[in-house]
Amino acid sequence: MPESIRMQIMWLKENRMNLIKSLMVASCLWATTALADPPPNYPFVNYDAGLKAARASGKPIFLYFGRYGCAWCDHTNKKTFSDASLKTLYSDNYELVYVDAESGRRLTLPSGERITEAELGVRLQAFATPLFVYLTPQGEKILQIPGFKTVQDFRDFDRYVRGGHYKQKTLLEFLGGKS
Amino acid sequence: MRAAALLLAALMGPAQAAWEWSAPMNVNSVQGEKIFPHLESANRQGVAVSDDTVGVVWEDNRAGTPQCYLATKPAMAEKFQPEIRLSQSECYEPVVMALGAGRFVAAWEEAGRVHAQIVPGGAAIKLTEAESAQVTLAMGAGKLYAAWAEQAGRFHRIVVAALTATGGTLSVGQVQPVEAAAPVDEQGWPALAVAGDGSVTVAWEDRRNRHTVPMVSHSLDGRSFAAPARLTDRKSGSADGLGAGTGAMRPTLTAWGKQGVAAAWLDKRDFLSGYDVYAALDEGTRRFGRNLKVQDSFGDNMVQWHAKAVGNAGGRLLAVWDDARDGTPDVWLADWKGEAFGDNETIPAASGTGAQSDPVAALDERGRLHLVWLERGEQVGTRIRYVRGASR
Repeated sequence: MPESIRMQIMWLKENRMNLIKSLMVASCLWATTALADPPPNYPFVNYDAGLKAARASGKPIFLYFGRYGCAWCDHTNKKTFSDASLKTLYSDNYELVYVDAESGRRLTLPSGERITEAELGVRLQAFATPLFVYLTPQGEKILQIPGFKTVQDFRDFDRYVRGGHYKQKTLLEFLGGKS
Repeated sequence: MRAAALLLAALMGPAQAAWEWSAPMNVNSVQGEKIFPHLESANRQGVAVSDDTVGVVWEDNRAGTPQCYLATKPAMAEKFQPEIRLSQSECYEPVVMALGAGRFVAAWEEAGRVHAQIVPGGAAIKLTEAESAQVTLAMGAGKLYAAWAEQAGRFHRIVVAALTATGGTLSVGQVQPVEAAAPVDEQGWPALAVAGDGSVTVAWEDRRNRHTVPMVSHSLDGRSFAAPARLTDRKSGSADGLGAGTGAMRPTLTAWGKQGVAAAWLDKRDFLSGYDVYAALDEGTRRFGRNLKVQDSFGDNMVQWHAKAVGNAGGRLLAVWDDARDGTPDVWLADWKGEAFGDNETIPAASGTGAQSDPVAALDERGRLHLVWLERGEQVGTRIRYVRGASR
């Protein structure tokens, strides 16, 4: 047996457990992404994990209500969430939550009520996906925005939410002023 | 335009009212601001009528964790008897099916496994040792079946099993996957119907096409199932290279007439107006016909939720759901008229101010409709309400 192949086999034996672990992690990641369509490489988590993280960090929640196979979600991911600076802005300043509009996975609302992810769409009266919801760290709704939006739109919504303008102005008033 | 439509609807209202309703009543005896009852289940099978006894199942958190409950009453009684608890640990999505003579089979998910029990008097059994959820039941031609979503590798798949009730004892037959091949994506929310000829129809949500598609399969014997077919007549596929197709979810089935099966589900093919209620009929050929929109034009621009097909052996068929076309969520009903579903009707006790939603319903042998829904109140908590309807 050539030395190079014997070395590779030895390396494989030595690293077999690491490889298995890596494959399992990759498989889990794939399984997670296969169930829904959040934008790739963003630290989206499920509702309960996001709410828990927000209560600890004090950051607002950015909830992406998407549908598996949704064309406009796909469009938004490719055109808007592909922007590196937007990814940094939202990853650094929000707890990112992804909810699958047709999933039976369970979540716990701030009231303590357990519902499915699909049922959250009923509570939000979601007409279309994607739907973007900004929440306080306690899970109270600040703003709900349906449909495709641009990078600049998301920058404006961020200023509106994190600047606290929602406490005094509607989004339209805020955007009219562009403060 | 809206005023004219409302006027027209008001003028047409008395002529459309095809049902005469009993006085509404509460089903759940315990309510509270922090108690959250749910009627959600696979096939929305939350009410059944066993000869002259009505049974209603639901889940709520009065005990501190979600638990499943059953309440019964004689059909003509003016109140439900205090509910009994079905579960011992966390419980979700209970269903109920009539066995006759005032007896029922209830099934539910508890601690990650599906269970079933004859009530009154039986003991709960696990239907499978595998991780499982979203169980539903159907009975017809003297046979009882259960279907559920069972973990199979990375995904859930739909399985069906015959159940046998002997006295108070329930036993489960061989658990049969609808498809022999391992699932390639998630499957869930099965609906079952046993037609008058004893054949079994199962429908479910299926993600093999990278979006949610209701699929359906038939079996003459409950063991060997035909290759799955789409319940929807919309094809999968991306739009300009984006996505994989529009969504459709929560299929429900009902046996209907001598040999028929009817389906209703939520369908987002018109993706700008949320989910609509669609239906399809199998008149005994074991092939579903074209898709039919259930809600009328007054509900077209409104999102519909919680659709349920309801039929009986006498050939009556209808669909119930909720939508907020009148400003707040109300329960709506549409009767099958032979060629299309008729004008949408509200149920007086399940409409008006406040939120009335999440209907489940069953037709009894006499054609009376037993309707159950949630009525949400800010102060008093959520009530489970019941009303009985008779055709005029």
